[in-house]
Amino acid sequence: MKYVLLLLLGAGVATAATPPPEAAACQACHGARGEGVVDGDKPRLAGQSAHYLDKQLQDFASGARDNAIMSAIARALNTQTRSKLAAYYAALPVPAALAVPTSLAVPTSLEHTTATAAQAGRGHQLAIEGAEGKRVQACNNCHGPEGSGVALSAPALAGQLAAYLAAQLKSFQQGSRKNDAGSLMRSVASQLDEADITAVASYYASIPSSH
Amino acid sequence: MVQQLKEVDVVVIGVGMVGSILAKELAAAGYKVVGLERGSTRFTVPEFQSPGIHDELRFDVRKALMQDNTREPVTFRNTSSQTGLPIRRWESFLPGTGLGGSMVHWNGQTYRFQANDFELATRTRERYGQGFLDPDVTIQDWGVTYDELEPHYDRFEYLLGTSGKAGNLKGQIQPGGDPHESPRSREYPTPPQKEHYSGALFRKAASSLGYHPFPQPSSNLSQPYTNPEGLKMNTCVFCGFCERYACEHYAKSTPQTFILPVLLANPNFELRTGCQVQRINLDSTKKRATGVTYIDNAGREFEQPAALVITCLFAINNIRMLLLSGIGKPYDPATGKGVVGRNYAYQTMSTVASFFDEDVIVNPFMASGASGTLINDFAGDNFDHSGLGFIGGAFIGAVNTNGRPIQYHPTPPGTPAWGKGWKDAVLKHYNHTIMFSLHGSSVSQRQNYADLDPTYKDAWGQPLLRITFDFPKNDLKMAEYVTARGAEIGKAMGAKQVAGNPRKAPYTTQQYQTTHNTGGTVMGNDPGTSVVNRYLQSWDVPNVFVIGASAYPQNASWNPTGTLGALTYWVADALKNKYLKNPGRLVSP
Repeated sequence: MKYVLLLLLGAGVATAATPPPEAAACQACHGARGEGVVDGDKPRLAGQSAHYLDKQLQDFASGARDNAIMSAIARALNTQTRSKLAAYYAALPVPAALAVPTSLAVPTSLEHTTATAAQAGRGHQLAIEGAEGKRVQACNNCHGPEGSGVALSAPALAGQLAAYLAAQLKSFQQGSRKNDAGSLMRSVASQLDEADITAVASYYASIPSSH
Repeated sequence: MVQQLKEVDVVVIGVGMVGSILAKELAAAGYKVVGLERGSTRFTVPEFQSPGIHDELRFDVRKALMQDNTREPVTFRNTSSQTGLPIRRWESFLPGTGLGGSMVHWNGQTYRFQANDFELATRTRERYGQGFLDPDVTIQDWGVTYDELEPHYDRFEYLLGTSGKAGNLKGQIQPGGDPHESPRSREYPTPPQKEHYSGALFRKAASSLGYHPFPQPSSNLSQPYTNPEGLKMNTCVFCGFCERYACEHYAKSTPQTFILPVLLANPNFELRTGCQVQRINLDSTKKRATGVTYIDNAGREFEQPAALVITCLFAINNIRMLLLSGIGKPYDPATGKGVVGRNYAYQTMSTVASFFDEDVIVNPFMASGASGTLINDFAGDNFDHSGLGFIGGAFIGAVNTNGRPIQYHPTPPGTPAWGKGWKDAVLKHYNHTIMFSLHGSSVSQRQNYADLDPTYKDAWGQPLLRITFDFPKNDLKMAEYVTARGAEIGKAMGAKQVAGNPRKAPYTTQQYQTTHNTGGTVMGNDPGTSVVNRYLQSWDVPNVFVIGASAYPQNASWNPTGTLGALTYWVADALKNKYLKNPGRLVSP
């Protein structure tokens, strides 16, 4: 039933969404349908919340989030166009290639990653429970069940590219990304080690987006 | 058969806020400390994580974090002529249980009392003359002054990372803070939390009336903070699940976030959970404690000998522990003699609800437990009480702690209590109502006290504590006065309708008010009117210390936790620097 509903919604959105001309600048790196570039660090945009995408574009433009390529592109767009692009990508269906059903129990094999079973277990644990020894709370506390995202406050992680998630965690950790409210992500990332980052990034990459 | 255990230096009864701070101080100083906790261990991960922790039915309605009153209730009556009955369902106040104690489910509102509060009897007499008070009122001085406690308040706030704005730095009034506060030695460790819309409207209205609004001091932190124990805490996300819940984010200061990891790593400390302490044992002279007797979860009885016993239970349980142990003379309201159970007091809570049109959008669900804006212009003795016929007051504030769906549904007076009329009113007003909290003081009075219940017993066969309490006339007059001031602010905010709800007698245990029970093991300089001396040491059994809000001779206009934290460090200093070097009385009777 849920799948049927999603398919219907997805189909409705797909026919309605025509790329705005400015999307050409996005497609080169983020894929023709915003699916991201697997094994690269260009994130999937399709299905992400419009509010989140819009804020990132504003932050790239203002310099609150630092990325040479994205800052140049975002500065070239006015605020209306940024919002329009954000809404367009938010409405795109999650690419089928990523939307592979995976067991919600501890996954043993992961799409697009080379994670070991132990890594997968650790990623799952950090996502749903956290780690008391490191004083890290569960990612899902803010990012929603299965990392599905909470529209106005936290982006979706489910189905995001592992390499991108890992790169962002590292950049929060090093403080080179600092557009998180209340330093929330910098606090969490500073408590994680390399293995934790790989594990949790792989875990979320393996979950089909529930968009 | 009672199993005898090896003697230790210190037994701490109850591993909540006070117990974990004191145990850490003493274990770090090299003493062997055992902590006895009746509840379970619990930590931020995994016990406090989402989505389980946001279960309003389990935690709010069914009180999952509270003392188990199927095994250990409290009996209650309004007057001595009535028969007390067990409180079968916590409503009026919510004593917690388990590692971290009641602080796990607190709101994080972290105040200091004012200098005047610690010398209330003397200063009231000086300012308003002899005979100003109802003769039944039994307020008294604390035996300790604000200036003595200031460094300990400071240390406690820096332990918690409290977010706020100073109003008085070493005597210099600071813009944006509370100008009525007693001088503090430095700024809060972190800046105030963000102000919500209801707070902003309150601030403008209160300022327009000439009052002095300031941001509520909050131990739900405004930014990441690493405390002097080396423990890192996070920024609060305004999830709206503070009071009655545990924090999932390491953002609310509780023993789990600010001290337990350090304490539990110290080999001088041993935590034992599931241990129900039955009594403090005394030797044949009844002037020296030999240790404690407890029963574990398997029903086994143990005797734990100790050179020093510290009881740091929730206020009312401290009273009971002394009564069950035969320490100190029980209070008799008929004669006014005796001290244990005397001066039980509470908090006199009133509310003002301001109802707005639909263009004023409050979003009450975006909240921390302490992100309010308030005034102290009508708190304590910050206004002239001449001719008013009462002492004390209340802070008045837009203290919006939550908008949870089961329990939060403000409706104007006259709304039906159920059915379609009620549902329509809830829909209409949920997002357009600002609630003020009027957090009133509570005088102690002769008729209000606690003793052992003559009839009802707990699951271990020991008598329950019985509370006899009703609101003193002094406090009812105070509630009327401050509620009228609050309603004026509601009108100045431009509310379409303002409903003041001053606290009325009789006191009922069936409606939530506040978990600020005080008194019963009162501190002071006179053994005839206090259970413990100014260092919270028992007058009768000097190797027993009793620490809790039970030490307050009466209750002030603010939440009691900040003052209890200050007293805890005050006692820790006295133990380390005085008592443990030369055990014995710290003050001569």
